[in-house]
Amino acid sequence: MKTINAELKRQDKRLSLWQKIKNSDQAQCYMLIALPLIGFFVFTIYPIIWSAIKAFYYYDLVPSNTRFVGLKNFVTLFTNGGDYWNAWLFTFKYMLIKLPIEIPLALILAVFLSKELKLSGFFRNMYYLPCVISLAIIGTIFANLFDPFGIVNAWLLKFNIISQPIDWFGNTDRALAVLLLGGVWSSFGINVVYFTAALSNVPKDLYEAADIDGAGVFTKFFRVTVPMIASVFQTILLLAINGTLRVGEYIIVMTNGAPAGTTLTAEAYVMQSFLPGFSTGTPNLGYGCALSIISSIICAGIGLIYMSVSKKMTEIY
Amino acid sequence: MNMKKIEIIQKIIIYAVLIIVFAAVMFPLIYIILSSFKTNMEIMAEPDRIFPKVWTLNNYKEAWNSDVMDVGRMFFNSMWFTISSVIVTLIVSAVSGYVFARGEFKFKKVIFAMFSSLMFVSLGSITIYPQFEVLGLFGLNKSLVGLVVLTCFGIPIVNMYLVRSFVNSLPKELDEAAKIDGCTFTGIFFRIILPLLKPIMATIAVLTFNGSWNSYIMPAMFTLTNPKQQTLIVGIMALKNSGMGASQWNLMLAGTVIALVPVLVMFAVANKYFVSGLADGAVKG
Repeated sequence: MKTINAELKRQDKRLSLWQKIKNSDQAQCYMLIALPLIGFFVFTIYPIIWSAIKAFYYYDLVPSNTRFVGLKNFVTLFTNGGDYWNAWLFTFKYMLIKLPIEIPLALILAVFLSKELKLSGFFRNMYYLPCVISLAIIGTIFANLFDPFGIVNAWLLKFNIISQPIDWFGNTDRALAVLLLGGVWSSFGINVVYFTAALSNVPKDLYEAADIDGAGVFTKFFRVTVPMIASVFQTILLLAINGTLRVGEYIIVMTNGAPAGTTLTAEAYVMQSFLPGFSTGTPNLGYGCALSIISSIICAGIGLIYMSVSKKMTEIY
Repeated sequence: MNMKKIEIIQKIIIYAVLIIVFAAVMFPLIYIILSSFKTNMEIMAEPDRIFPKVWTLNNYKEAWNSDVMDVGRMFFNSMWFTISSVIVTLIVSAVSGYVFARGEFKFKKVIFAMFSSLMFVSLGSITIYPQFEVLGLFGLNKSLVGLVVLTCFGIPIVNMYLVRSFVNSLPKELDEAAKIDGCTFTGIFFRIILPLLKPIMATIAVLTFNGSWNSYIMPAMFTLTNPKQQTLIVGIMALKNSGMGASQWNLMLAGTVIALVPVLVMFAVANKYFVSGLADGAVKG
């Protein structure tokens, strides 16, 4: 027995590295996920640590200018970061107007589409179409439609609703209106798809039972449909809130903050102030890191609040 | 009789709403596509007309080879960037999804949890600077190739979830039979699992194609010092932001429509993959 074991061990030593890997599932697993694993540490964890450290520095890409400034970036942010906080206010404003339009619209359309009409699939696909279009293209399309000499102004003039062309991006409220229009246009379709998927899982016999009980359209909607899709609804709303809070690229391509940076969301503000090619001059990246950290804390906080509130709501029902 | 009347009225209302929304969705697209066939004069002077007075292909001819916006070159850039991103993402997603479904190794749960947490933890766009720093060590921070390399090391977590749940739904006896026949863990993937992954791979390919073709911020930063490598989307936005866009709407619209075509074709051909990917992602992700 001993000799056999010794022989096996000697053989084991003679096996090449390749052979060892071939015999070990574990080694193969690590090899197969090597790329994302390396990427995780090099391109995800390292950048997070980098940002967390740089938040305490003055840093403008010039090594000789770099210096430790302690909490100064955060102090500036809370005492003199008016633009940033205004951007957050605008983000909330945008979200609180957009979602109450978009989510009910998507839900109503999904309810209509689930009535088994002949063209249901076609309509759902077409509503989803704007979601696959590049945000940059959407920005160009709406810039053309709402150009001072674009079709919207031309039609408004034609029907005597206005007497002279409107500069749509020259006023914060009008720019917000265009942003909301484009925003709902480009993303309500995805929620229609989500809601139709949720509705298709509601058992048909529930509606039949409600019919027998003599329930009307609205009773059926509020007593059967809403409770049955409540949990999916919560997820859809979470995705929508999260998506809207982090809106950045869309604002950059639509208004780029016009007029005078008043339509920047928080993420768009960070992009416009600190990203290469989007910012002007040499920004203090340390300050940008401080902003990004605070932003992600705010987003995470809102997510946690939402989840605890929706959990309470579930308990009540 | 009365019931039937109500039903018919209901149907009419429903169809009316659906068609109005449909028209609102399609109008901007149709208007832009039709406008791209107008002369620049007509775009500027008569914006209230939907159909062109004189149909012209000149905008496309001009844009395809213009100094202001070389759409031909940009289209080529967009194409190779998008196709390589799709290939890279397919490989990474498929392999990792398989490993997380069938692999048994020490830190599997920890690694998967760490990857998943990325869906919720993000510092936003500022992290591009350290990423540039690392890529710069290899001279990869100033070209589209660098962005493809970054994609190689990316963690497409939603795709990993899709593949993982797909592999989990396959019977384990398949692997075991292959294992008894002497197939290695990697061999099982290539010989048994990969051929079965076709539907989910199609979904991932379609979604990645769409995302890469449409992306703007990242390619813009990677081609900042190298305008020859601009993708179509980046080029259109550069023209729009340069202020020349307002007087060159014809070029911009032609470029826009050219940038739309691959996406629309993909949407028409592979529509079911878009929607199934979404539904799966929402339910399982």
